[in-house]
Amino acid sequence: MKRKILMLFLSTFLLVAHAMAQQITVTGKVTSADDQLGVPGASVKIKGASSAVQTNLDGAYSIKVAKGEVLVFSYIGFVTQEKTVGTAAVINVVLAADSKALGEVVVTALGIERNKRTLTYSVQTVKGDDLREANQSNIINGLQGQIAGAQISSSGGSPGLPSEIILRGSTTLSGDNQPLMIVDGIRVNNSSSNGTVNRLSDFNPEDIENISILKGAAAAALYGIDAASGAIIITTKQGKAGSLQINGTYKSFLETMGRTPRQQDIYTVGTGGVYDASSGSSWGRKFRYDEKIYDNIDRFFGTGITHDVNMNVNGGSEKLNYYVSGGYRNAGSMVPNTNQEKINLMMKGTAKLSSKIELTTSANYVKNNIQEGLGGASAGGWINSILLYPRMYDILSYEKPNGDPLYSYVEAGKEKEARISPMWGAMRNPRNNDVDRFLVNNNLVYKPNNWITLNYRLGQDYTNSKYRIVKTPGTPGESSFYGSVDENNAITKFITSNFTSTFDRKFYDDFRATLIAGFSSEYYDSKSVSYHGDHFLVGDIFSPNVVSKENLSISEGWLRRQRYAVFGDFKIEYKNIIALGVTGRNDWTSTLPENARTFYSPSFSGSLAFSELFENKDLWFGKLRASYARVGKDAPIYKTNTNLLGASTVGGGFVTDATGGNPNLGPEKTTEFELGTELSFFKRRLNFDVTYYQRRSIDMIMTPRVPLPSGYVIMTFNAGSLRNRGFEVSVTGTPVKSENFTWTTTLNAWKNTSKMQEFAGDIVTFVYGNAQLNAGKAASSLDKPVLGIVGTDYKRNSEGYVIVDKNGIPVLTEKTVESYIGNREPEFNIGLINNLKYKQFNLSFLWDFRFGGDILNASRQGMMSNGIAYDIGQWRDKEFVFNGVVQQDDGTFIKNTKKVVLDYSYFANNYYQVGTNFVEKVNWARIRYITLGYRMPQRIASKLGFKNLGLELSAQNPLVISNYSGGDPEVNSAGPNAGGSGASTMGVDNGAIPLPRTFSFGINVTL
Amino acid sequence: MKTIIRNIAFVLAAICLSSCNKLDLNVNPVQPVTVPTKQRLPAIQANLAYSLYSQARFASYHSYYLTTRLGNTNTMTDTWNYNSINRMGAWRWHYFDVGSNVNGMLIRAKEEGSNNYTGVGKIILATSYLSATDVFGDMPMKEAYAGIFNPVYDTQEEVLAGIERLLDEGVAELNQVSDMALVMDATTDMIYNGNLENWKTFAKAVKARLKLRTVNFKGGNQELLNLVNDVLPKFEDALFRYPKASTSKWTHNLWGPGDFPEPFQFVDIKNDLTNTLPTDVLMKALTVDATTYDPRLFILTTQGENKKYLGAKMSEGLKDVSLPKDVTFKDFANLFGGYWTSDDSPFPILIKEELYFIKAETQFYMNDLDGALESYHRGIETNLKRLGVPDGQLISYMGSAKVAQNSASLKISDIMMQKYIALYLQGESWSDIKRYGYSTKAYPDFYYPRYALAEWAGKYIQRFPYDPQTEYMYNPKEMDRLGAKARNWVFTPVWWASNSTLKN
Repeated sequence: MKRKILMLFLSTFLLVAHAMAQQITVTGKVTSADDQLGVPGASVKIKGASSAVQTNLDGAYSIKVAKGEVLVFSYIGFVTQEKTVGTAAVINVVLAADSKALGEVVVTALGIERNKRTLTYSVQTVKGDDLREANQSNIINGLQGQIAGAQISSSGGSPGLPSEIILRGSTTLSGDNQPLMIVDGIRVNNSSSNGTVNRLSDFNPEDIENISILKGAAAAALYGIDAASGAIIITTKQGKAGSLQINGTYKSFLETMGRTPRQQDIYTVGTGGVYDASSGSSWGRKFRYDEKIYDNIDRFFGTGITHDVNMNVNGGSEKLNYYVSGGYRNAGSMVPNTNQEKINLMMKGTAKLSSKIELTTSANYVKNNIQEGLGGASAGGWINSILLYPRMYDILSYEKPNGDPLYSYVEAGKEKEARISPMWGAMRNPRNNDVDRFLVNNNLVYKPNNWITLNYRLGQDYTNSKYRIVKTPGTPGESSFYGSVDENNAITKFITSNFTSTFDRKFYDDFRATLIAGFSSEYYDSKSVSYHGDHFLVGDIFSPNVVSKENLSISEGWLRRQRYAVFGDFKIEYKNIIALGVTGRNDWTSTLPENARTFYSPSFSGSLAFSELFENKDLWFGKLRASYARVGKDAPIYKTNTNLLGASTVGGGFVTDATGGNPNLGPEKTTEFELGTELSFFKRRLNFDVTYYQRRSIDMIMTPRVPLPSGYVIMTFNAGSLRNRGFEVSVTGTPVKSENFTWTTTLNAWKNTSKMQEFAGDIVTFVYGNAQLNAGKAASSLDKPVLGIVGTDYKRNSEGYVIVDKNGIPVLTEKTVESYIGNREPEFNIGLINNLKYKQFNLSFLWDFRFGGDILNASRQGMMSNGIAYDIGQWRDKEFVFNGVVQQDDGTFIKNTKKVVLDYSYFANNYYQVGTNFVEKVNWARIRYITLGYRMPQRIASKLGFKNLGLELSAQNPLVISNYSGGDPEVNSAGPNAGGSGASTMGVDNGAIPLPRTFSFGINVTL
Repeated sequence: MKTIIRNIAFVLAAICLSSCNKLDLNVNPVQPVTVPTKQRLPAIQANLAYSLYSQARFASYHSYYLTTRLGNTNTMTDTWNYNSINRMGAWRWHYFDVGSNVNGMLIRAKEEGSNNYTGVGKIILATSYLSATDVFGDMPMKEAYAGIFNPVYDTQEEVLAGIERLLDEGVAELNQVSDMALVMDATTDMIYNGNLENWKTFAKAVKARLKLRTVNFKGGNQELLNLVNDVLPKFEDALFRYPKASTSKWTHNLWGPGDFPEPFQFVDIKNDLTNTLPTDVLMKALTVDATTYDPRLFILTTQGENKKYLGAKMSEGLKDVSLPKDVTFKDFANLFGGYWTSDDSPFPILIKEELYFIKAETQFYMNDLDGALESYHRGIETNLKRLGVPDGQLISYMGSAKVAQNSASLKISDIMMQKYIALYLQGESWSDIKRYGYSTKAYPDFYYPRYALAEWAGKYIQRFPYDPQTEYMYNPKEMDRLGAKARNWVFTPVWWASNSTLKN
């Protein structure tokens, strides 16, 4: 029987019924009553029949119809019209806006579509077209500024660089803060293991129909275990009934380096003012006039060219529709020897197997091969070696003509400690990350009657990844000098299987009740084999085949996790005025100890469309909503017991894994309260959406270093509680709307403040173990913002003046334990999107403003202690009087007037020791993108044989205005999952690669 | 197209079948949780050697054996400033690498009935605790290994009592090894090849080392002397040996010049002998007269490029102005390749010379000067023989002015300086030095280092700080109680040093 159904599906998928008789072709145009512009995508359907078409971008349509039949014209937000076909071959229709229908249907948790009008929590939607305006290949980067409340830290967009998104503040200190990623109902992998790109970037933005962002716990509550950080629900395009449409785009990008830190060009290498080639630091004498000074940062980074081609075919009938797409991207980078080859293939079809059963199947193949010249490091430091490379050497000279390393400084017999241009590493020791990914997704919908829907979905995200780093022999360094190779091959699977049943009934005319009940299973499995080999016996073969057995190690990893859940969602609505919802979900997870394996996540929400109570309700809309949710989160895999690892020391055997198991782990819980309002005026020309939320994360699970007397080095435990609260405002408006000119604008503004409320045991300040300076560190302190910085400061008197000693040098605080000196969380964020349409031209741009938020500028500290920082050039050996006060013997203070010379000893023993000197409060205004599009007039396009032809010019990140002293102020040194995440490295600049400035040209054709 | 769709359907069907699992899968299927004791002991012993090394790595500079080449470059060794370190490796090596592994082995030994492993495990743990409390002072013992992140720190006195208890328990187990016990032999016991009598003697030797710290203020010289006398005839050196010409990075002595495996490449573990010089203190100790060096000099070190044997002042290195003009590192002995500093050198855990010098020191304070002289001579001879000094050189050295020839002229400094040479680069020397408060009575050539920061107010370094990344963060109350947050905490003597009556 199963097989029969399958064959039925297969055959319907392929067959398109053509047989129609005695028909004429009717054409026409559907326009909007508001602006007299064509309505693209409107449905034109023959009443009572199954065939339908859609209008094209100009609102034009063409349909075969028999005389006397009735055509139904409909589009979301407009009043549906019907026209009977007479003799006229042209039927033009003007659709009037339906003032009652605010909003569209939005996709919510588990792919459930809901009317925005009665939605009881905040969901923000980004349309695929808006996402594509940003011209970012990494979807996360494309969301920048488009969502109120999303903190996105990208490391640039160059191939291989990860980006991180955090909704409504960090919810966990050492784990992944990123929201759940769902594509077409199945969970997908967004990890960025080994500091490589976050895997969501495998997906092609061209295939995306829209993205729903479920920011709060209530919105995501149906995801239970994963809901704590919100969810991002991506819906891909699907076939639309109507004539076959072929769409193709080509884009090319030119990527150049953005804002970089400044260096001094006065002093050369050495120490103590004396030239010394053996020293890598720039504390030597002044450059002589005849010595060349290289601009190494500019010389290192180049220009990258990217080609991006996409094509999709879309069509179908009422019974079967399909969407097939292909994309090819060959990306270069400003970082030398860095490139990407990406292929996306997608096929998606929906078949109506009967009037009650519908099947959607999709398959998505991604090949994403990335080579990176600058390998990420767990503690940041991608470009530190470039920033510190002495300017007397040309960074571009790194190899001899025969390919051997060309050291810039070497002592005989000490080649391992030689100095070499960082370009050697970029050109000869790149890392490669090759991914083949295959997603399959099958969704069967059965509607036995008009109020019951049964839905079963089964999908798998399968990733085969290879990660490889080679060190070419001759690379200075203990472990690399004789060459080494590291490779990890992993197969990762996410299998999602869920069943939902929906019962949706109206009763007593004015009431509507919706009940959703379901079950889900999610299995994660990641199997990997990795090896390390060093000391190549044959210098030009980089393989474990040419290393001796002692220098070869191999290991296998296998991670597994199984989760089950049952869930229910009950919602009752009265007349589109009041809606009340309750959800509940019970999760079972394999990653927690048996006694803590199950937990329950409820949510309660309600909304009141108060404008309905007024007489003039058709002119405006107003809604209040409130919700409360409590969700849980499970632990990382295999953290409940301790394993043994093979020992390589004399005698072999086994040793305890430094990461200890914790049999007492419990789930992490998040509670969130949300209050919001939606207001709409002037016939939806001006809309507000305002949300206030307060989120508490209780018993956060962390996996940090722990006190050694516990018997372990690293352990997973429930470490404390924190709170985030803030508000999000989204204003969309259409200030101008006329026949030729339309201006729409969206403003997203948000603010989040966090507070560390409780720590396990006696912890007062939790310092993160990566991306550190000695003087200042990323940390969370009790009763302080979660994204804090702790460090040393100058000693101050009771009036706040810096105390200066009798020699004229400022005095440092005595405590070895650091105090709170900064908050890396922005005080206020604004994203402002404008879209101007004039005739055939379309201009859109996004301004991104950020106010406040401190950056811990470890790059500058590194450059200062190395003597190469711009400030050192400005201040070194100059006389200076510190602004401060000197304590007199009688205890009083007088203003310091003593001149001191700012020499090496001052910088080394005083300036660098003060954390506050490297904390900068940063503001920025930047244009994320600006895109100018031109659509060729229809008559010209059709003469050329196209339905549509568009051209666009665009720039990404073309302008940054900031008070930051370093490179680009958007910094997230270690990136997500690379030894740290949000709370630990966001806002830490430790050799971060500045964001590039990119210019692009695109052409878009529709056949 | 048809085939593709069919394939997708097949894949989906396969997924469906494989998507249901039990929830009991949180155990790593490719990694063991427990292994037999005999598979645990070798790595525990290797880790004990590394743990002792991790303390000696810095203690050797604090003991005036070594100083950095350029001087005033390393904040810990040249300026005695430990306030800006991120981690304290020695803390981890004791508690985790030795301790956790011993505890894991003890649990398995109990299940197996292998109480021979229980006994050896406890003795190793005690040895490790002793070296750790010498450099850290008060530390958790009663609440250690209980999964507590903010354990109470036991006083050093309690820790020493606990160590004695562990030693006694260990010996007691070895006195009645069960028939069920797994075999311990040369493949599983890298130190004594499974000879349990040697382990029992070793336990007593460790106890003698422990008693030496307190005997000066607690009394008990006779008891200590009896203990050493009991141990000496049966004692075998406790050495961790590395294979000859090994190509594996993991099987080198960490004082050697070879490559290190990645876990040992942290700056605080990796030795820095390349950029290190012998001090004037060490060179004076190894100089007999204007024309003669101690024969051991050429065995403990190798010849420098310029065939000279200069010594640099502690903390100053080449900045030492008393060195000849245009001096370079080539004018000093090469520290690598020596008896204790080659890749295949054995690592000393406790050697016989130490027991002779303990005996000599004890006899000296019991006013048995003849006995002390005899023990002192035996100690020197044992060391000369160990290092392979030819008989002729041995005899002439023993008769030289560098060696006290009669009991009347025997000074405590004679004993302590010979012990200092015999225990070259061992952490135990720093304990002796702290016990004597860096006094010139015992160490006549000591001086206050020029680059020690002025804020230490002339105090000598006494200990390591606790691990800043964990203890100061998780256990701030205990850190406050102990006063360990003070910038000059490492200048506070540990309990037995602060009570010592030998400090001038």
